[in-house]
Amino acid sequence: MRTDYLPPLRRLRILNAIIVALMGVLVGRLWQLQVLQGGQYLRLSEENRIRDYTITAPRGVIYDRKGRPLVSNRPSFTVAILPLELTRPEVVLPRLAAVLGMPVEEIRSRIEAARKRPFEPVRIRRDVGASVVARIEENRLDLPGVIILAEPVRHYLYGEMGAHLFGYLGEISEEELSQRRDQGYRLGDLIGKAGVERVYESVLRGVDGRLRMEVDALGRPLRVLQEIPALPGRPVILTVDLDLQKAAFEGLRASGQRSGAVVAMDPRNGEILAMESLPSYDPNLFAIGISAAQWRRLTSDPLRPMLSRAIGAAFEPGSVFKIVTATAALEEGIVSRTSTFYAPGFYRLGRWVFRDLRAWGTVNFIQGIQHSINVVFYTLGFRLGGETLAAYARKMGLGERTGVDLTGEVTGTIPSPSTKLQLVGEPWYPGDAVNMSIGQGAVTVTPLQVARMMAAVANGGTLLQPHVLLQAQDADRQPRPAPVVVQARGLYSPRTLAVLHEGLRAAVERGTGQASNLKHVAIAGKTGSAENPRGKPHAWFAGFGPLGAPRLVVVAFIEHGFRGGLTAAPIARRVLEAAFPTPEPEAQETPR
Amino acid sequence: MNRRMLRYVDWALVAATLGLLVGGGVILFSATRTFPDPWVFVKARVLHAALGLGVLVVFTAVDYQALGRLWRPLWVVTVALLATVDVIGRTAQGAQRWIPLGPLSFQPSELAKLLLVITLAKHLDGHRELTTLRQLVPVLVHAAIPILLIIQQPDMGTSMVVAAILAAMLFAAGTPLRWMGGLTAAGLAAAPFLWGALHDYQRRRLLVFLDPSLDPLGAGYALIQSKIAVGSGQLFGKGFLQGTQNLLHFIPEQHTDFIFTVIGEELGFAGALVMLALFAVWLWRAGAAAMQAKDRLGTLMAVGILTMIAFHLFINVGMTVGLAPVTGIPLPFISHGGSALLAMLAGTGLLLNIGMRRKKILF
Repeated sequence: MRTDYLPPLRRLRILNAIIVALMGVLVGRLWQLQVLQGGQYLRLSEENRIRDYTITAPRGVIYDRKGRPLVSNRPSFTVAILPLELTRPEVVLPRLAAVLGMPVEEIRSRIEAARKRPFEPVRIRRDVGASVVARIEENRLDLPGVIILAEPVRHYLYGEMGAHLFGYLGEISEEELSQRRDQGYRLGDLIGKAGVERVYESVLRGVDGRLRMEVDALGRPLRVLQEIPALPGRPVILTVDLDLQKAAFEGLRASGQRSGAVVAMDPRNGEILAMESLPSYDPNLFAIGISAAQWRRLTSDPLRPMLSRAIGAAFEPGSVFKIVTATAALEEGIVSRTSTFYAPGFYRLGRWVFRDLRAWGTVNFIQGIQHSINVVFYTLGFRLGGETLAAYARKMGLGERTGVDLTGEVTGTIPSPSTKLQLVGEPWYPGDAVNMSIGQGAVTVTPLQVARMMAAVANGGTLLQPHVLLQAQDADRQPRPAPVVVQARGLYSPRTLAVLHEGLRAAVERGTGQASNLKHVAIAGKTGSAENPRGKPHAWFAGFGPLGAPRLVVVAFIEHGFRGGLTAAPIARRVLEAAFPTPEPEAQETPR
Repeated sequence: MNRRMLRYVDWALVAATLGLLVGGGVILFSATRTFPDPWVFVKARVLHAALGLGVLVVFTAVDYQALGRLWRPLWVVTVALLATVDVIGRTAQGAQRWIPLGPLSFQPSELAKLLLVITLAKHLDGHRELTTLRQLVPVLVHAAIPILLIIQQPDMGTSMVVAAILAAMLFAAGTPLRWMGGLTAAGLAAAPFLWGALHDYQRRRLLVFLDPSLDPLGAGYALIQSKIAVGSGQLFGKGFLQGTQNLLHFIPEQHTDFIFTVIGEELGFAGALVMLALFAVWLWRAGAAAMQAKDRLGTLMAVGILTMIAFHLFINVGMTVGLAPVTGIPLPFISHGGSALLAMLAGTGLLLNIGMRRKKILF
């Protein structure tokens, strides 16, 4: 064999050079990726494998004054989506919609709404059942990006009862979020929207915990890297007495009326023992995120079930206002308990005639209160004049907010000759003072204002700020009783009070308010049937007891209830019975 | 073969090959440790390596000139194997690349690359120089038929490898540069037609190569995740068996096509340099074999094998760091896959074969 072969060295060297160059490119690229940008990629790989889950802290439990829970929490599962891990929404969302039984569009719009914060889970449905959880867990591989969160759900133990008092929760709005971001609120958090839930939000809200998990490429949690437990919200003890609240609720329900309110209050300290409004709504609906249809139904209902008629709306007080007229007349010295009036069934002022229920003949002042005789109060009202009446009404707490620690309180209206034009857009007529003396005209008050006024009558002339908080915990979890706030003292002279008490007692014992009378406790009170331009008269009853050492004020109000003595007083009686149970064992209410 | 030839065995090439084989096995262990059966891939690797070393010895021992003389039947076998895949091959990853063989299956396209190196080398060796179309066209047809069959499977990566081998061997065989240029131009002109023939997933892969953010959760996912894996290894890596991208399965195909990400992530830039150094030694010795070969056939075979390994290396590593589109090309000696490993070791055997027969044997 001859060795005459000469390899194509030139071309082989070119091939070698190409390979060396490509090797150089690889090394350069690796240097760039691993050394120059390595830190950045390391961070990305950490973000890949670490998931932070929020452990939602349970809200503080709301108790009644005797420590019975009214609002608590129960465990639940929430279906949520991690937007960044939702790799195939066109496949996953219809599947999820089928499992949850909700329209795909609703899921999409929820994800869309949270677009600004793609790292946080978007809650699709709260409080799903065990079967839904099981179906999602089983199909985990087919539902990438869908997660189940274990979250406590607010539980209103008594449903519609006390709804307006306790309030409700809702997802935090953009506005609230921007105001409270420094307090640790995040998108999708539930926040108190009304009532105690809102007023004591900062107490009730807990501190969410955090669970840092290592996950694999499918988002399956593998191990816990770090866990910060959630700190539950602090409990709140309300002044509410569950038994009285139940009596108020059931009394309103049993009345067969469509709308009304009951307020029960301790006249010694302003503690609200019961506050109920009819019709009501179930705040549990809000606890899991109310659906659009349910929200529409609630807000378009002409009876406005979400409105608290105890504080959120003002009504003509009718004859309940006669307490103001009587007090003013007694304080101004234009009447005494023995003053007599001739009541022919009408009262004439110039060309106006003011009517009465019937002709009573000659009566004294106590009888005037007892039978709510209009002519007696027309006479006094005219003599007092509008300014004086309005001044007393304001002094007694009508036409201004009580300052109760609840949301949505309105002021009501107490017109006077100097303010009527501004308040109601009409001039003051001389007859207005006559009309006002029996609580008609443009006068409107809330049931809670009436209760506060009645409490001041009952307790000897001290105007107290009504409140629903009995005790909460401060930031160090030390109990802090709510203070008693005195708004005014010595409103009435003892003589005035004595006459008022006698008259109000007479009304319950043998007058208009007999339907609220109890055998074993001396109750005093006043009924009202307030004519109004929208329908039948409103029915009122405002009373307290026991006479001498009053511990309870009750105001019952039925919108368009026709006659206070017929519809309102029996409801008040139920609350009174609950507060002062009949001593006989067989008559005691059996627990249900 | 005799004792004198053994003196000419290129031990550096053997050492580099064994280094890649053993190192690759260790990396494969890390890549498959969290799989349902963590040992099945390592066991397969040991089996493939043992079988492959046997094949290596055979390909070293048999005179490559004898192999070359069989080029016509070998070509027929190659084409027949590839055609068989098209007919009876079973579907894997949306592509037909496998022939079931009892409990095993093998991938003819991997073997076809090596066989084509042998047959093309002999075919080209038949012409002193390629100066006429009468000489060039049969060579092109020789390569085109297998390439078309591989495209048909479809396996873009392997057909690109074969095209690269063909180009390098034509170059080494002395094809005039104007013809090389003409062939390149023809290839570019055919690109739009090729684009039309591609499957959707292949087009997506090419598009996301240009811009991974086009589809970060779909086709771009593998590319993004593999860059994260390699980059996060930094200078010295997260440590063996410590790669989170690897262990938590963020990398698809981490034991086959994307096995380099395990090296990059767990052993860092330093580990990647060690691997590249082993390949550099291997390629240097392959280049030496091409230059020292006693005849043109040896040179051309060595160039073909050299190109095969080099192209695999650059495309595979390039793919994981975003320099090359995602194609199913394994990393030689390291990725899981028996057919490819056997072909690579057989090729290494051929290089040793050429190297130790470089000097005239004197009796």
